[in-house]
Amino acid sequence: MFERGKKDDNGTGDTDSGSTGTQGFLGSVGAKPAVREKGTAIIGRSIQINGDLRGNEDLRIEGDVSGTVELRNSSLTIGKEGKVRADVFAKSIAVDGTTEGDLYATERVVVHVNARVNGNIIAPRVGIEEGARFKGSIEMDQEAVDKALGKSSRKAAAADTSGRTDDKAPDSKAAPKKVAKESGAGLNTRAGAA
Amino acid sequence: MPVSTIRTPVAGLAGDSAALNAPLFRLLTDRLADGRRRAILDLGAATTPMLDLLGRSPCRVEIADLGSDRELEQVNAAEPDAVIAAADALLPARREDSRFDAIFCWDIPNHLNRQGLTALMTAVAARAGPGAVAHMLIYYSAGTMPARPGRFVPTADARLVDNAAAAGTIDAPRYSPEELDRLMGGFAIDSARLLANGMQEFLFRLPGGHGSNGL
Repeated sequence: MFERGKKDDNGTGDTDSGSTGTQGFLGSVGAKPAVREKGTAIIGRSIQINGDLRGNEDLRIEGDVSGTVELRNSSLTIGKEGKVRADVFAKSIAVDGTTEGDLYATERVVVHVNARVNGNIIAPRVGIEEGARFKGSIEMDQEAVDKALGKSSRKAAAADTSGRTDDKAPDSKAAPKKVAKESGAGLNTRAGAA
Repeated sequence: MPVSTIRTPVAGLAGDSAALNAPLFRLLTDRLADGRRRAILDLGAATTPMLDLLGRSPCRVEIADLGSDRELEQVNAAEPDAVIAAADALLPARREDSRFDAIFCWDIPNHLNRQGLTALMTAVAARAGPGAVAHMLIYYSAGTMPARPGRFVPTADARLVDNAAAAGTIDAPRYSPEELDRLMGGFAIDSARLLANGMQEFLFRLPGGHGSNGL
């Protein structure tokens, strides 16, 4: 569906945030040859998508996306030109552009220096580069993150049944409706050093 | 268990000779590291070192990022009957189920006029729980201050480095402790220290709670 490059050497799908110059959506009339990026599909900067975007491959957005973005087992990069007005669910999320909506990642969220993020971040690992503009909340409680991401937690379950107080409950606003339907089995939400 | 942060580039951290020793900041962040879950409001910009410091205990951190916006100017310029609404619009929505236990104001209050400061802190108080604590840095000795709010980043040992770019100077309001006590929208002075750079560091506290928040 998307413009596609070859897989990178380490298979992570990580992209170089500085390597812009994307030429647009696959099939664009008169488009120059696609700029290959490391194993990542690309939504070019002339593309606007309004609706639910789902997939199972790494994706870079340089265009304008509104709605919902779900890449449960893949990485999403919102490039410098990218504008996303959506709740985003992915394995990892890197933001160089602009987002408005909540960011849910089962591994990590990184907000780079020129990014503008307006929304909440729910991820086991979070990085905010100096100079980035971020307004919203960051959940710094692994238990609450696990619950919001739909990962079962024996400790959380025990706490839920022992009458914990409201202020200790995971952020109800943060609970992703769509993600919570799934068990999250196989997703790695273990915190660890970068 | 807290989540972990990812190392990101930050200038002028550990070992920086310009790092400011701020004992009340250290006291508050140490108390916040007692393992209890809390809700924290940071009026400044998000930085990974601050998240590291706060992430020693489970918490929800709300980032308002007021320091580099023109929003403060809008509060300062608001008519008296509109200033509360203007200040309210700068802050996250109220959540009755998760009121803030601690608020980091940095030096932002210096960049608000008296009416604006009261409006902002009234709006903060409306989102805070009983006994909530607010930390603040006030230009006190010097007659001038940077024209834009600082961008304070804590070191690993809870000293503060101001990474804001130079932007000229303006007159400092030099709020006295007595005046601040009147202007803080219900927060009262808990403790104060004069810092080496001539700023005064304050902890303010909302009444009530009887110490139940552990701060």
